[in-house]
Parts: sequence; structure tokens; C-alpha cells
Amino acid sequence: MTKFLFLGLLRDKQKSLFPIIIVSVGVVLTTWLYSWMLGVFNEVIEGNARFNNGHLKVTTIAYNEISSQIPNDLCLTEVDKLLETLRAEHKEYEWTPRIKFGGMIDVPDETGETRAQAPIIGFAADLRSEFSKENERLQISKALVKGKFPSQSNEIVISDVLADNLEINIGDVATLIGVSANGGMAIHNFVVSGTVQFGMTALDRGALIADIGDVQYAMDMENAAGEILGFLKNGMFNEELATSNKEIFNKNHSDAGDEFSPLMVTLLDQEGLGDYLIYAKSAGGIIVSIFVFAMSIVLWNTGLMSGIRRYGEVGVRLAMGETKGHIYKSMLVESVLIGLVGSFIGSMIGVAVSFYFQEYGIDISSTFKNSTLMVNDVIRAKVTAGSYYIGFIPGVLAMLFGTAISGIGIFRRQTATLFKELEV
Amino acid sequence: MTASELIVTKKLTKQYPIGGNFFTALREVDLCIDQCEFTGIVGPSGSGKTTLLNIIGALDAPTNGNAKVLGSEIGKMNHVEAAKLRNQYLGFIFQTYNLLPVYNVFENVEFPLLLQHIESSKRVDMVNKALEWVGLSEKAKSKPAQLSGGESQRVAIARAIVKQPKIVLADEPTANLDAQNSHHILKTMVTLNEELGTTFVFSTHDEKVISYLRRKIKLSDGEIVDDTIVN
Repeated sequence: MTKFLFLGLLRDKQKSLFPIIIVSVGVVLTTWLYSWMLGVFNEVIEGNARFNNGHLKVTTIAYNEISSQIPNDLCLTEVDKLLETLRAEHKEYEWTPRIKFGGMIDVPDETGETRAQAPIIGFAADLRSEFSKENERLQISKALVKGKFPSQSNEIVISDVLADNLEINIGDVATLIGVSANGGMAIHNFVVSGTVQFGMTALDRGALIADIGDVQYAMDMENAAGEILGFLKNGMFNEELATSNKEIFNKNHSDAGDEFSPLMVTLLDQEGLGDYLIYAKSAGGIIVSIFVFAMSIVLWNTGLMSGIRRYGEVGVRLAMGETKGHIYKSMLVESVLIGLVGSFIGSMIGVAVSFYFQEYGIDISSTFKNSTLMVNDVIRAKVTAGSYYIGFIPGVLAMLFGTAISGIGIFRRQTATLFKELEV
Repeated sequence: MTASELIVTKKLTKQYPIGGNFFTALREVDLCIDQCEFTGIVGPSGSGKTTLLNIIGALDAPTNGNAKVLGSEIGKMNHVEAAKLRNQYLGFIFQTYNLLPVYNVFENVEFPLLLQHIESSKRVDMVNKALEWVGLSEKAKSKPAQLSGGESQRVAIARAIVKQPKIVLADEPTANLDAQNSHHILKTMVTLNEELGTTFVFSTHDEKVISYLRRKIKLSDGEIVDDTIVN
């Protein structure tokens, strides 16, 4: 009997192929949308973490209050001791000092006169220590367009767009004109070792990246840093862990009465990223839920249509002496089979499509033209374990529920009207 | 009820609720159909033919009175018992054949046997024999869409008789057939009735069918107005 019914299922394309296609398409779309939303939200969070905020950040209380102004006069001092403490007490994280700074870059001609000038946003990171992961984190080598990684003293990389605008070449001298930590003018000559393009509009407009040692010297910030960033070793932000580390550190080392005492904040405490994450999670959840719900209705309808289409077949089977319960069960088994096959195909295609978008992404640089958010110009999907089952479950269940509801008609059906119904 | 009495109804009444009232489809019908009969319930539309056939086929239950089919009281059966009765002892032939389109002729005829969990080799023998009875052995692999109306109805007959039921209930079996095919079908059924001893009960107002009947039970407004044995 099972073989007989299975044979019928295989042969009747409207009973098998069509619903499988519908289920597959629904599951593909659900899987892709889920992976895409995940990729978009993750990209914003991780992009900001790597360049700007870390998973945890330590600054002075005063610096934190006006951090958007990059107040290096309120920087952390005795950074080596603070780093030692952080590395000893918060071992899950890798700690690294950073200095952000604004200023102007001046490109002199052969006579020493200004040839070109432009405003820059500067990033100083530990580029030359033996075990530093800053190159990997900031993806400098990966982003190089011309030249080489700044491995020598006073070497810098600047954004390729900026280099073009200034008509500066590799090996040329560029003078940084900024404000020192003491409020004086900071002037320092650097050599451009390379140009970079990160694919983030906020950085590619005019970034300068230098080793932190050189910038400390240039800005009178000996053993000082604007901020110390902490990155969880697996590279993924963990809200719970970050919050508990923040609470422990602030309890032990922060003094609300001293504006120069250190303060630890999490990624979510900075630049509205917490609100963003809440919004992203809610929006993502709502969008995916709506989509899954809509797909469930479509698939349910497919189950219903399939049930209604088989009214005659069910009538004949009842007349032959098959019980209503047996017919109902066989229809449910068929729907689970269709759901499983469709969901499997859909999930595989959906994951493959998501992998494609994870690899190649979509260029949204024009949308973020004037944004300061560290968002990649190319937004990519992110395939996770969830991508494999997010569409699979509703695919199977929706088909099953659709058939289950349409099948209730079997029990309601008055067998007394069978002759009449089957004579249509 | 004697051993040869397959169907017995006593004061069988069937009413359907219509609005706040009841429509009486059958009024105190007393009837007895014996084994091997070739009987027709005849009468105009609305006379209660199909209702009577439904009750005999355990597809519906009486409102009052009782109907016994093969010793089982229809009014006291639940769905599963009714399905079992249909599965084991009753065959149905419909006006519009109702073959399952995705299965071939052989498989359509095999279907009732699968419900009875008959083993494969025996099933094959029974199906082949049924197809021989209706003269369609060479069409075993054909799909219903490849058959003529007459051939389709013969497949439906084979499906009804393959399990060698005690009773075959046929509702207007020739309604969609031309005269030649109708006669062919009816002759097949007469032969099966004579050779297998299967009781045939028709619901019909087709004169061609009526001419083959050996007993005519005439219904009018839910009552038996005539019950004639044809010699």
C-alpha cells in the first residue's frame, strides 16, 4: 500500500513536483533573507568593532563623554601598566592601544613648499609589535592598492582616493599637521609606504594609518593612548561576556569622581550601536518572521489546494473501504515527504545562494556616501548554522499544517453524498 | 434473515433536515434482496433511489427502522466498521467511472486488494482474472486517459468485482455510455452475476438497464410502489 501511494505521488506531478517547487522556492527565499539580514547586521557591528569600537573599549571617563570629538588631551596615560592589568584580569580578550586623531596632511614639493593639503582622519595602531594582530584586524595588507605595509618607523598608509587627490606617490613625504595632547601644534613628517582602499566610504574618503609609536611621538603622547580596545579572541562579539567584563573592570578600576580614571564600555554602549543592535535584532526577527509566516501561508495554501484537488480520489478511496483515518494519515505522510524533499532542495539552494552573496555581496557604497559608520561598501550575506534550518522547519511544517487542515474535510465529509459528488 | 438474504430493510425511513423541517427521502421501506439477485431500484429523480443505495452501501444511516446488510445493522455501525464492510463485501460502480488517473488499469483494479492486505502473487492472479472477466487483459498497462468510456467503465467493474464482493452497488452505470457500450457493460455484469453469484443492485432510470433486470423495485416519493420479478 505504501509503495502504491508513493508511486502515485511520484507520477502525479501536480501532487508532488508542483508542491515541491513551491516549498523549495519558499525555503530558498527564507534562507537567503535570513542569511542576508544576518550578514548586514553583523557587518555593521563587526566593521565598527574592528576599526572603531572594539568589543570592549577603555578610555578615561572624560574622553568617553566627548569621544566623538576625539579629545586626545583627555587620553589614558601609563598605558603599559593598564595594558598589563587588562591582559592579566581579562584574559579572554586581546588588548591593543589605539589613537584616533584628526588633522591635515601637507604634501611639500621639491623646494619644501606646500604642493597639496587635505584633511584626514587618522588611526594609530600597534602595527610593528611581533604579536600584534592589528594588520589582520584592520585588514591593511588586504586593502593595499599600491606600495607596502608600513613596517618601518614613520611609514604610513593613506587612502587611495586621498593619494589620488593629493597626487602623492609611494615614498613621498607627507607632513601631518595636528594638535598634540598638550594642546600644542603637532607637526611630523611621515613617508607614504602604500595606499589602501577598505571598501568603507567613511575610511576611503581620507584615512591615514600609522604605527602608534610614531603617533605617540608626534603628538606628545608618550606611553599614552586615546583608547584601548579589547577583542574577544574568536573575533565574535559576545554581549553577555562583554557586559560582565565591563562591570568587573569598572568596579575595580573606575572612579566616578575622577574624570581621568579609566572606564570600560562595550561595543553596544558606543555610538548608538546598542540601539542599533536591538533595532537590528527586532527588525531582522520581524522581517524574517513575517516572511516565514507569509511563506507558511503560501505553503499551507499549497497543501490545501492539493487536498481539494484530491477530493475525487479521496471519495473513491472511501467507497473502496479505506478508513478516513488511514486516508488522512497517508496524506499527512505524503505532505511530510514533499515538505522534506522541498525543504532539503530549498535549503541547499538557499544556502548556496547565500554563500554566493557572502562571497560577492552587493555594492551599496552610493547609499553610505556621507556616512561615518564603518560599513563595508559591499554588504554580504552571512551563512551560519541557522541558515541550514531556518527555512527547512517552516517548509516542512507549513506543508504539513496545510494538508492537516485541508484533510479535516475528509472527516467532515458526508459519505452519504459520495455518489452524488463522484458523479460530477 | 436467512443465509440467502443479503439485504433486509424493515420500516426503513430516512429524513434530511431542510430549514426547520424534514424531507423524507425514504418512508418505511421493507425490502429483502437475496444472494445472486440482479435487481434494480428504479424511479424518477428524487424518488429515493440513491438514498436507499447509500444506506445499503453503509455510506449513510437510517433515521428510523433498520437495514441489515450481510447481517450487520447499518444504523449501529461506526465509520471504521462501515469502511470494513465496504472493503470486504461491497463493490461500487459509479456513473463517471472514477478511476485514479495516475495509475494504470492493472493498478486501479489492484487497489481494493491492497486495502485488504492480500499478498502480492495472489493479488496479481486476482487482478488478471478480473481483467479477463471484463475482457481488458490487453489494456492492463494503459492509463485511464487512454481508454474509451466503455473501457473505463469495464475497468470500474473489474475494480468492483476483483475482491469478489457479495454485493455490487451500481449507480447509473450506463449514464455516460452509448447504447452499444451500455449493452456490452450490462452483458458483462449479467455474466459475472451468473458465474460468480455476485448480487448486483442498480439505481437507475435507464431503460437499457431496466431491460436487463430480473427484479425491479420501483420507488416513488420514498415508498416502494412496485416490486416485480421478471421471468
